[in-house]
Amino acid sequence: MAMAALRRESRRFATPLITPTPIYSLRSEEHAAIGVRYISTQIVRNRMKSVKNIQKITKAMKMVAASKLRAIQTKAENSRGLWQPFTALLGDTPSVDVKKNVIVTVSADKGLCGGINSTSVKVSKALYRLTSGPEKENKYVILGEKAKAQLVRDSKKDIVLSLTELQKNPLNYTQVSVLADEILKNVEFDALRIVYNKFQSVVSFVPTTATVLAPEIVERECESGGKLGELDSYEIEGGDTKSEILQNLSEFQFSCVLFNAVLENACSEQGARMSAMDSSSRNAGEMLDRLTLTYNRTRQASITTELTEIISGASALEG
Amino acid sequence: MSSTAAAAPFWRAAGMTYVSYSNLCANLVRNCLKEPHKSESLNREKVHFSLSKWANGKPEKPVLRSDTPDA
Repeated sequence: MAMAALRRESRRFATPLITPTPIYSLRSEEHAAIGVRYISTQIVRNRMKSVKNIQKITKAMKMVAASKLRAIQTKAENSRGLWQPFTALLGDTPSVDVKKNVIVTVSADKGLCGGINSTSVKVSKALYRLTSGPEKENKYVILGEKAKAQLVRDSKKDIVLSLTELQKNPLNYTQVSVLADEILKNVEFDALRIVYNKFQSVVSFVPTTATVLAPEIVERECESGGKLGELDSYEIEGGDTKSEILQNLSEFQFSCVLFNAVLENACSEQGARMSAMDSSSRNAGEMLDRLTLTYNRTRQASITTELTEIISGASALEG
Repeated sequence: MSSTAAAAPFWRAAGMTYVSYSNLCANLVRNCLKEPHKSESLNREKVHFSLSKWANGKPEKPVLRSDTPDA
């Protein structure tokens, strides 16, 4: 017991004399660990650790997107049956020339999903330019945070309505129809042009526009005998007049088309996120490989240097 | 039939669109279901979004429209 205490004491006294700690401790405060005389691999090691963590995160995000995609894909595919009868009846006429165009841009609330948000913004802007002219009023209605951020920059004068936080609950028809109702109430339009990304497969999305006409325009087109000339061949049952029927129909058409558009876009978002996360984890892997190579090379070089020093020192003593 | 034929339907006179009218009807039908299906279908159809109108290039204060109580 006494011996041990003594030994500890003596060590404490002896240390400053034997080891040259003062020099190293001074240096260690500034740069690196004690006894470092070569290039530090600390930075590379930290970098490797962070890249590894990022890779873990992107892999997890990919998994999440894949599982969400599966649920939403069946919904989107089922919802296609909603707008097809309308297109058969009222037609989809993107070329119609009207005064008040309202462009409904559908986008996501979250980023990290490739280019789908900027694609729909780009298509909306092109559509805006295409339909604009003298005596025309074009307006934007924006769904989702990301398109809002992009359109605010150069066309914030034309935004009339923006809707966000759509995907807090799983998407359903009631949600979208209430949303469509808000748009119908708050915006005056002759034609609504919905811009969204149609889902084709996990890697391919087609920017699409769907056009919904106001009832008066439908009637006008119908009378002029253009593309909607066949509408007169339908018989109307009950006591409602044709304009009432058309108004109901076009409102319901809008909510159905919007429902499909929102679902397709959500589906594309998850697909795009999946492939984006896949490629980013692959990139992280490649980066990690390169960093490992650099790290090992440096380590080996420093070992070689040390060995050379020792050997040359020893041979100098011998010689 | 003949009573509604002359004027616009009563719900449109009340300022509703066809969409909100049909939603109301759909909700009534859902409430007519028996129990396990009723709560299931009512829980499925939840509405949540925030809406903000824009005036002169500036967004007004967003209005939150939500069925979930805590949001």
